[in-house]
Amino acid sequence: MDFTTAMRISSSGLSAQRTRMNTISSNIANVNTTKTPEGGPYRRKDVVFEAMPDARNFGELVTSSPSADMQRVQVSDVTVDRKAPMLKYEPDHPDANEEGYVAYPNINLMEEMANMIQATRSYEANVSAMQATKDMALGAIEIGR
Amino acid sequence: MSGISDKTTDALGASLDLRLLRHNVTSANVANAETPGYKAKQVDFEEALSRALDHEGLGKMHTSADEHFLMGQGAVSRARADVYDNPDVNVTNDGNTVDMEKELATLADNSILYKAALQLINKKLGAMRYAVTEGGR
Repeated sequence: MDFTTAMRISSSGLSAQRTRMNTISSNIANVNTTKTPEGGPYRRKDVVFEAMPDARNFGELVTSSPSADMQRVQVSDVTVDRKAPMLKYEPDHPDANEEGYVAYPNINLMEEMANMIQATRSYEANVSAMQATKDMALGAIEIGR
Repeated sequence: MSGISDKTTDALGASLDLRLLRHNVTSANVANAETPGYKAKQVDFEEALSRALDHEGLGKMHTSADEHFLMGQGAVSRARADVYDNPDVNVTNDGNTVDMEKELATLADNSILYKAALQLINKKLGAMRYAVTEGGR
């Protein structure tokens, strides 16, 4: 246990929140996308966070059972929203079906914005944790000067 | 107590170690603030440390294992922190018990006290340096 533990844990939080931010950006950018490589309209993505015992590397994870007191966070999965798409009557649209309806992604912009603010706040919290770690470590190397 | 370190320096050193542990655990809580099912952890060491300080060097007892009562020589350096799931919390819908404001407050509070302990150690060492360099003049 040392300062690198705190650094590693905070940075895992930073990258998890960044991944979340990326999916939110993707959702906002594709709010009107009607065509995707998988077929059909774009579907909203969401991340799933998971707590992981902290270990320096894979070897340490296997050989010693790391303490459950300090766990880092990781993105275990990116889920795809199963909500039915919104149908709009636009017969002239190239992606319209036989009845003239176009399937649009069922994305609520307000919801995405709220998630975005939450992700930003969590990111900032991890940044301040990291800043505190850095201050303490810098103080510790000054002992006796 | 050995060599140039005395009870105060030992106690400050032990408190630095334990505060670092608390800092690590709190950082983990902040990182997992939105992990479903994560339970916030809390570190307690003040009581164990003060008990060890009371008993340091007392009774001429010798202990040979970490599990023994904190008595005799080196009791302070063997004071252990207690890490447990924080019971004083609200559980959200996804089973997460991290209170972000509380964790950030703990983080700030802990790092200030860490720096205070650092300054005290530096003052102790400064006094010692003064004795070493100026004492002979």
